Amino acid sequence: MWALDQPCAPRAGRLFADTPLALLAVLALGAATTWALVELGVLAPHAMHVAGVTAGHGALLATAFAWARVRSGSGVVVVALLGLAASLAALGGFGAFAYLGPPLWVAWLARRGRLAGLGLGAPVSLRSVLTGAVAGAFLSSHLLVSASRTLGVHVRLDHMPEVLAAVGYDVGANVLAAECFFRGALFNRAQRRWSFTVAATLATTSYVVRYLVDPLLPKSIELLVGAVFYLALLGAINCWLLWWSESLVPGLLSALVFFAAYRTLGSG
Amino acid sequence: MAAALAAVTALIALDGAGPASLFRHAYLVPVVVAALRFGAPGGALAAGAAVLLSAPFVLPEIERSGLTPDAAEGLVTFAVLGIVGTLSGALRTRVGRHRRRYETLVALQRALADEATLDVALTRLRAALAGRLGFDDLVLVARDGARLVVAGGDRVVPGSLVARVLDSGIPELVWDAGRDVRSRRAFAAPLVAGGQAIGVLAVERKGEIPAEERAALEALGAHVGLALENARLASRQRLFAAELAEKVKAARQELEELDRAKSTFVAIASHELRTPLTALQGFSELLALRRLPPEEVSRLAGIMRREAKRLGRIVSDLLDLSRIERGLDPALCRIPLAVEPAIVATVDLFRQGTASHPIAITCEPSLPHVDADPDALERILTNLLSNAIKYSPLGSVVRVGGRALGGAVAIEVADAGRGIPAEALGRIFEPYYRAPDAAGTTHGTGIGLAVVKALVEAHGGAVRVESAPVIGTRVTVILPAFHGPVP
Repeated sequence: MWALDQPCAPRAGRLFADTPLALLAVLALGAATTWALVELGVLAPHAMHVAGVTAGHGALLATAFAWARVRSGSGVVVVALLGLAASLAALGGFGAFAYLGPPLWVAWLARRGRLAGLGLGAPVSLRSVLTGAVAGAFLSSHLLVSASRTLGVHVRLDHMPEVLAAVGYDVGANVLAAECFFRGALFNRAQRRWSFTVAATLATTSYVVRYLVDPLLPKSIELLVGAVFYLALLGAINCWLLWWSESLVPGLLSALVFFAAYRTLGSG
Repeated sequence: MAAALAAVTALIALDGAGPASLFRHAYLVPVVVAALRFGAPGGALAAGAAVLLSAPFVLPEIERSGLTPDAAEGLVTFAVLGIVGTLSGALRTRVGRHRRRYETLVALQRALADEATLDVALTRLRAALAGRLGFDDLVLVARDGARLVVAGGDRVVPGSLVARVLDSGIPELVWDAGRDVRSRRAFAAPLVAGGQAIGVLAVERKGEIPAEERAALEALGAHVGLALENARLASRQRLFAAELAEKVKAARQELEELDRAKSTFVAIASHELRTPLTALQGFSELLALRRLPPEEVSRLAGIMRREAKRLGRIVSDLLDLSRIERGLDPALCRIPLAVEPAIVATVDLFRQGTASHPIAITCEPSLPHVDADPDALERILTNLLSNAIKYSPLGSVVRVGGRALGGAVAIEVADAGRGIPAEALGRIFEPYYRAPDAAGTTHGTGIGLAVVKALVEAHGGAVRVESAPVIGTRVTVILPAFHGPVP
């Protein structure tokens, strides 16, 4: 028993210890430079999107890796893969398939046991996976029904290439980075210092704020309220899923199902 | 529960009455059932799910027409569901917690009901608590003097959580005990008795140990501490009672033995007194009734004198014994006394009376005088010589001697008799005691050596006995020498 036969460790270090500040600085600098070059007309406007995806999601993933004590090279690799995927996706066509790069890299690291600190790599039960899928499905169906009844938007299947590209973005960048950082890293660290409620509140609030400052989110008040409502629910559910199943996979699945449903919505 | 919620939602949708549908009240059924079944989390979750499911009926109404009476009813339904689910769940959780607490206390009392050592009691307690408290691991540690008794582990590592709480007496929570994804909490509460930490109750769980549960564990620690202390006191009391009973039994046996010895003594003393009395009576009658030649009269008078002296000695011994038993020292009149003449005089008396044993006297030259009562010294020597003659074979030599010993004089009387058994050696100075092998073969009251010891100690001296089977017995009396000028 730990309380009996292990020396009582000193209080855990700072919440943001091990953050790869140098890499984050480089990413910020890159994004700022790109923005400046786009403003000057040197680069095409979609370069800003590529830089934003690379810097934003790359920062989240690289920080999550660093907090999980994965070698810094892995963070650089995932940033590079994100940049490549965003660039290829911007070209259109099958470029979005490049978003499979980051999850494959994450899967490879997890298989080698390097992401155990994020809740990836350990076997996960079918029950946990199904619970994650059901949670995502419940939230998605609620979103679809509510959205169609209140905002006048509904499921549209006439823009499948765009939907698939968006789902690819979610798989390779949006959901992967958010779950790895806000649940696998931030919530995981916070729950070692405070109660579940405090940790889940911190992680979920940060998660919601991250989407509120996302330039890709439409800025109408109805959509913002809806985003806060559903993202808060999704964040809290995913915190509980990680806590309950001790794996990030159910949370990843529920978020993927939810975002896939969200991508199918359209007006007209 | 999920199916029930879905069914109610379907009924509301089919009803077409929107947020004012009467079916909305049916949400209360699964919410209350979930609250009663799963407590606060179940009630809150079910209420949340019900609100989520009914929201698509209420919110569009508000968006379309503002806060209409129907929409208001829907909002009230939200509130009612939330309040009912949360409150009934919280009450259910609290009731369950109280029930578990009382059950735990009863189990605790049962575990300590029997007489048991601290190790066994702790193991039983742990078994009783482990199944009820719902933790992954539980350990109980209690102080037993300098030793720590551990139930649920091997030993307490210095610096561990248990060791810290044992030292400080303050409960402590560790948020992250281990490396699991779901954080493992460890909590240790002191076992308190008499205001001091007599041990520690430590628990571990993958997951939360809420503040209310920690408070309950602290209270349980106080209960366990008190129960352990009570068990310890009860055990000590039982031990004390057993010891007392043993002592009472021993004292009773001693009294019974003393009573038996006194009865035996009365019988023996009567016999011992009767013998010289009979002789005196017989010879005096003979002298009174017959006319005897002078030589015969002289012989009979000598016998009567010896028997009278013997009678006098027995009576003196009895008087001394009586004083000893009343806690008084024998009355002494101490003067400077030459040892060798006193020995010679006593030996002469024995030589006149019996020629059965040759008596050899060996005294150091210029032996110092002793500070003693002459009559007491004569009785000491008489008793010792009488015993030596009584318990040694006919014809064997009895040796009497005196020698200087520091500031004292040692007088030794040695015989070549059968010796005193080792088991009897420690008791020969007790009044009325006679060694088992002596009791059936020789006459005696069993008070001679007791009187010798009392007389010697009244002089500030000491007496010791050395005896070996077949070789014989030597009694040494040490009396203080007289240091002043001899008159």
